[in-house]
Amino acid sequence: MRKLTVLFVVLCLLVPTLLFSAGGKEAKDDQITIAFCFQDLETEFWVAGHKAITETLRENGIKVIEKNANEDANRQLEQVKDVITQGVDGVIIIPQDGESAVTIAKACNEAGVPIGIFNRPPSDKSAKNLVVVADNEVIAEAAVEHMAQEAMKLGRKVYPAIMVGDLGDPNAVGRRQGFMNVMAKYPDLWAHAPVEIPTKWDANVALANLQSAMQANPKIDFLFTSSDFLFPVIKSVLAPLGKWQLVGHPNHVILGGLDGDVTAAQLLEEKYLDATGVQNLFYEADLMLEAMLAAIKNGEKTPDKWMDDPGFALTQANLDTRAEEMWGWVLYKEKK
Amino acid sequence: MKQTLVRKEPEKGSSAVQEAGMPQGRLLLSPQVNVAKRILMSEYFVLYLTILYILILTPIIPRLWHPMNIRNILSNMWPLLVVAIGQTFVLILAGIDLSQTSVMAMSSVVGAVVMTSSADPILFTKSPLWGVFLTEQGGLLGGSPWALPVGILAMLAVGLIIGFLNGFSVAYFRMPPFIVTLVSMMLFSAMAIFLTKSENIRYLPEAYLRISKSWFSVISGAMIIAIILAIVAHILLTRTLFGKRLYAVGINTTASQISGVPARRTIITAYMVSGLCASIAAVLYSSRLEMGRPTLGSTLFIDIVGANIIGGISLAGGKGKITWTIFGVFFFIILANSLNMLNLSFYIIDMVKGSVILIAALLDVARNRIRKAQM
Repeated sequence: MRKLTVLFVVLCLLVPTLLFSAGGKEAKDDQITIAFCFQDLETEFWVAGHKAITETLRENGIKVIEKNANEDANRQLEQVKDVITQGVDGVIIIPQDGESAVTIAKACNEAGVPIGIFNRPPSDKSAKNLVVVADNEVIAEAAVEHMAQEAMKLGRKVYPAIMVGDLGDPNAVGRRQGFMNVMAKYPDLWAHAPVEIPTKWDANVALANLQSAMQANPKIDFLFTSSDFLFPVIKSVLAPLGKWQLVGHPNHVILGGLDGDVTAAQLLEEKYLDATGVQNLFYEADLMLEAMLAAIKNGEKTPDKWMDDPGFALTQANLDTRAEEMWGWVLYKEKK
Repeated sequence: MKQTLVRKEPEKGSSAVQEAGMPQGRLLLSPQVNVAKRILMSEYFVLYLTILYILILTPIIPRLWHPMNIRNILSNMWPLLVVAIGQTFVLILAGIDLSQTSVMAMSSVVGAVVMTSSADPILFTKSPLWGVFLTEQGGLLGGSPWALPVGILAMLAVGLIIGFLNGFSVAYFRMPPFIVTLVSMMLFSAMAIFLTKSENIRYLPEAYLRISKSWFSVISGAMIIAIILAIVAHILLTRTLFGKRLYAVGINTTASQISGVPARRTIITAYMVSGLCASIAAVLYSSRLEMGRPTLGSTLFIDIVGANIIGGISLAGGKGKITWTIFGVFFFIILANSLNMLNLSFYIIDMVKGSVILIAALLDVARNRIRKAQM
């Protein structure tokens, strides 16, 4: 009976294999198919990024296969391998981190499928990929420069702090560097070295560490967050301390961020926020699509190109003239 | 999950039944119902189900049989099988090991700290390992030919030590396995993140990275390791005194102790096997991802237990076989792969997976009832 069972199992597995894999060449239609594999949609920025990419692709008549890895790098690798098997023409990923981006890009290189990495760059250049990334250092520096100019108007030294992202993410490294560039530029403006508050891009971690930092350094009055999604956390910590105040109030903490999301737009309009660095999501999506389509059209299997979004800082000084260029502002006005 | 004093009937899949050759009664039912029951009660039920599922899906997803997809299925299967085999030992014991995911994370970090050939000071200067175990020149044995064997041995030692701590706490302090392993999971997951400050460790030896890569067609190091482990585990459960004791303790700890079974030693060994398997899985996963990750496996627990339940390993203990684990893992991987190939959304995929695990648990209850009715 056991031998019969084994024979039955082998036959069941063998027959479809012969039927479908030997003669099973599928007719490939002319429509371009691109897989969009993202790590999760936990912040407004990534939700907007997801929308920008999928809408741009679909508007151009491209079939989109979407995969959500739920913040699991191994799952994302498996998903990318699955879509390669499905015969996609290209893969665009938002990776969990810079390291897993390299591993996934290598898998695509091996399979000869063009890969684009959106907004979270690989941690090294050992794999070939299209990368669209905001110039985080320059954008952060522009936002913090405005904050420093506001601090100088106070005519005294200020107490700076930065909420640092996950330093495994090159975006976080660039943003921190932009902040540090301004620290180095005006050494006499600061009462002490900047307090670095780790967030790991996690609201709960950020809340706990910001609370501790404010208890240890109650004079902090100059705060830059490496991502706008942490503004609700900042408000929940500063408000009970009487430090969540409008620009110009004596207890106002000079506040800056980076992303340009809907919350930042609202806070800029309400005058709680001094400046935010803006990544031009729609421009980045267009850049990625153009490069990917060109690679597919030219039959390039492993295109290798790094594209920068220069971005800009939206501040209380240029709000009237440049607000419409910020993606979060557009969405904020639509919501209103 | 606690080993209780409640007397349980020996069931199919337990060595007690295999040894005693216990007669099974039969109800007078129509031939169709009898055939349905025989299929439902068969050891190969999950395998039949998998074959049926594949046959139904084949015309819908012709690429299911694409050689590249078969490679994907198998490469996804081996590490999950390895960690699921470890969980099987604990489930047979009527326990559970929630800490397997943290064993994977800790093993991955420890192995990488030994083997890495370079570390970025921007990322690691705040790590407590920096300057002692980790420098710009890499880990303890970075670049040395000893890095690979010592790194892997260190990883396995982590699994054995955590497994021993779990087993000791369950066996000697009579703590519920759920609580013990939950605490271990929290403690060692946090420790892995603390040691690396949540950073991934790259630049592992090339020979290590080759373990999970395809050597020839579908053959890979991961495949060979998983198959050898499955064979050893099968022999351990079916041909050794330890296997018989494991089933006996799983069915009734107190009765087994009275009968002279060294229950404490058996429990500790089972948890050590579970930890060891988790650390072997860490070798496979981290070589696949080409890095030591402090969050490795953090989302994997439901897959591990789900595959065991689908395979028919009873959460009540005393019942289970390695072949069932293999069938469960195979079905689970085929299910996940096919749902991906159908391009369903992530949320639907997880809902389907959850439903399948629930149905498997309900089927287990139904099979137990039928079995009892037949006795």
